[in-house]
Amino acid sequence: MPGQILDGFIHGLVYVAIALGLTIVFGMLRLVNFSHGAFYAIGAYVGYAVTERFGLIAGLIAAPIAVALFAFIYDRALLRYFYEKDTTAQILLTFGVAIVVEETLRLIFGGTTRTYTIGAVLSGSLNLGFITYPTYRVGLAVGIIILILAVYFFIERTDYGLIVRAGVRDRTMVQLLGGNVAQASTVIFVLGASLAGFVGAAASPIYDVDPGTGFQFLVPSFVVIVIGGLGSFWGAVIGGLIVGELQSLTGLLFPPGADVVIYVAMALVLLIKPTGLFGQSEIIGR
Amino acid sequence: MSAILQTTGLGKRFGAFAANSDIDFSVEEGELRAVIGPNGAGKTTFFNLLSGYAQPTSGEIVFRGERITHLTGPRRVRRGIAKAFQTANVFPDESVLQNCRLAALARAQGGFALEVFRSSRRLGAVDDAAREALALVDLASAADTRAGDLSHGDKKRLDIAIAIATKPAILLLDEPVAGMSIEEVHKTDALIRQLAKRMTVLLIEHDMEMIMGISDRISVLHQGKILAEGTPAEIRANDRVQEAYLGGRAETIA
Amino acid sequence: MKALRFYALVVAGLVLFPFVIHPIGGYPALATQILIVSIATMGLNLLVGYAGLLSYGQAMFYGVGAYMALLTISKFFPDHPNFWLALTLAIGFVTLMALLIGSLVVRLYGIYFALLTLAFAQMFFFIVFKWRDLTQGDDGISGVSIPPLPLGLTSLDLTTAFPPLDLGIFGNLSDVKYWYAFVAIVALGVLAFVRTLTQSQFGEVLGAIRENEGRSTFVGFEPARYKLAAFTIAGALTGLSGALRAMFDTSISPDALTVETSGNFVIYAVVGGVKTLLGPFAGTTIILFLQNVVSAKTDNWRLFEGIIFVLVIVFLPGGILGTFKRKRSRALLSETIRTTPPHDATQPTAGGAAL
Repeated sequence: MPGQILDGFIHGLVYVAIALGLTIVFGMLRLVNFSHGAFYAIGAYVGYAVTERFGLIAGLIAAPIAVALFAFIYDRALLRYFYEKDTTAQILLTFGVAIVVEETLRLIFGGTTRTYTIGAVLSGSLNLGFITYPTYRVGLAVGIIILILAVYFFIERTDYGLIVRAGVRDRTMVQLLGGNVAQASTVIFVLGASLAGFVGAAASPIYDVDPGTGFQFLVPSFVVIVIGGLGSFWGAVIGGLIVGELQSLTGLLFPPGADVVIYVAMALVLLIKPTGLFGQSEIIGR
Repeated sequence: MSAILQTTGLGKRFGAFAANSDIDFSVEEGELRAVIGPNGAGKTTFFNLLSGYAQPTSGEIVFRGERITHLTGPRRVRRGIAKAFQTANVFPDESVLQNCRLAALARAQGGFALEVFRSSRRLGAVDDAAREALALVDLASAADTRAGDLSHGDKKRLDIAIAIATKPAILLLDEPVAGMSIEEVHKTDALIRQLAKRMTVLLIEHDMEMIMGISDRISVLHQGKILAEGTPAEIRANDRVQEAYLGGRAETIA
Repeated sequence: MKALRFYALVVAGLVLFPFVIHPIGGYPALATQILIVSIATMGLNLLVGYAGLLSYGQAMFYGVGAYMALLTISKFFPDHPNFWLALTLAIGFVTLMALLIGSLVVRLYGIYFALLTLAFAQMFFFIVFKWRDLTQGDDGISGVSIPPLPLGLTSLDLTTAFPPLDLGIFGNLSDVKYWYAFVAIVALGVLAFVRTLTQSQFGEVLGAIRENEGRSTFVGFEPARYKLAAFTIAGALTGLSGALRAMFDTSISPDALTVETSGNFVIYAVVGGVKTLLGPFAGTTIILFLQNVVSAKTDNWRLFEGIIFVLVIVFLPGGILGTFKRKRSRALLSETIRTTPPHDATQPTAGGAAL
């Protein structure tokens, strides 16, 4: 049982890391990004390719950089023209890009599932007192928690973060006050993408890598931000952990329901309080 | 004549803020009642409560003897309470005529009809009602124009035509002349007088000259409550009303 | 376009279709498949283009319709397998499903609506996937023997081929099976239904609601009921499509209920043109052609599909057929789909209560 709870926790943290980028981009840019999973996938593949040759550390560095580059070009060349368009156009475009990315990855790397090899130091288990648990997972958990705190610090304590928070509230006002919203938008978008890319590389030793990975993680990410509240930082954190644990515990108690249960939760939230646990009641889109 | 519309203790709170409170209001059939008050007094909220656009947090609304307090907007419209929006709200991609036809169609067929095999072109009555409404507001010549292409003043009149096409017993007009030129104001003034002959009209406006000339009675709202009610002469002479309007000078919007 | 001319064109197109595609690598079975899937796309088209609701969960109706049809034949009534019964049960069940789900779903707008349809679709996917006793789970159902089509006193085995007639580069008449004729008739019927619907009172009001829901509400229409009707009709059509597909393929797998399948319908509809009657056929044809013909040459046909989709969204928001129609306003796509609820009257307007 404790193993399951820890698994759910790790799972949840991965969801949090992915969902954070998604929710902040939504809150700040009012952008619904169906291609967010693609960032994870690119990170996973780049991480895999680099790790195979240069080791894990190199992989963990290369992945977010590669994703950041992609996200930057994506934003500048295509996506920013869709910021002002209605939600559905955004969904469709980002969905289309997600397919293109998935298929391009398939083209480059082939369709077979890849498994990571991690160094000897990180494989093996740690004795945590009440349970022996794989070292890598512990490391991953710690790493993600540090990242979450870093993002929190960035948003709450820095000037840039101030623009983000204000931009979530009132974009026009921030522009009038002289804040460079366009620049901040790109920074936020790239940041969120890199986060997902990093986690893609970091979590893949556990989850394996195949071209469908992007969508595999995208759909539950939406479950997370719906439950937590679209646009909410803590919503992503709490939501991610809830979804992770929900899946894990249901897997223990009623295995056939493990996948269904998170969608039931999502449907309930949408029907009862669509803005989620932490979301403010606002109007999205135009 | 009896009261066609009545509210008792009507109120609307948003958290701690009371946009409307304790409103006891009653209007006779065929009356032209103006609702005035300084900005923030709660006039539009009041109209929203009457039309069903918002639900009250307290009080009751009775229309023709029926308690309609919790009825939804569409049901109130079908019972005969129509409103023209504050910002001209039309179907922009449809022709002017089609805008009215849609309203007349709702009147003819009700809130929902799975008429999947009938075209509304066969319903002559719908067409007639639409053209009648357009004629009343003097937009018949623009029948085929795309509604979104109309001037602001014309759009507002179209909005009124749409409301009229539902053949209402009560018409709620929220600032019908806001943003209009003097000529358009006079035209709309004449229009409202015409309408008042056929139906009860409730009117929110800031144009005092027009209000004083056109109304049978005036209700003054201040800070969400009714401050005074009476004939135009009575209201003009009322000290508290003068005070509420800051320095006793009633404003006019040209 | 006048009705007679329209239908004449469509009938001609349907008759020529399986032959015309032959020189470019097509074949009648593909034509049959395309028509079947087009029925589902027509359903989604109705929902997106006319009602303004982007559903990301149509696969649930498609898949459930498919499973119901095959299960009726192989499991529910194994001793008396009946073609019409399978079809009727499938459509009936899916319609009920759409009615129930729709009543919950039409309260929402924009992204919330799309996500809720997605959530329901995922639920059904996993239910089908895990309920091995009923659906055989991952393995799917295959090799079902489809009974012939009862027609009055006789019955027709739809796998029968037409008599041979050499048509040169357009193939041979005997390549075409009765299945194609049956599906073509059904598709024609659906098209006629959708066309009548969009030109009817119902369609008119639906369009008004899509254009300005606030105004529609305050002339007395009940938008939720119209949207529910549209959703149910779309669901029923999608279920019909799934049932036909399963019976044509004689097999089904849970893939029919995936997010990918739902996404595919969206792609077909958008590429073809969401506010056109023939758009669904165009979009489905293009993409399925790509899938079946290009896939013989390269493994990466889906990459082309994705690129085409993105190009259409960026440059041709009206879809391929929509670009030929006279557009009254720019960005047809963003005009057709409502993403925000009419102003929520229970909240104060921005900047304090407006008076």
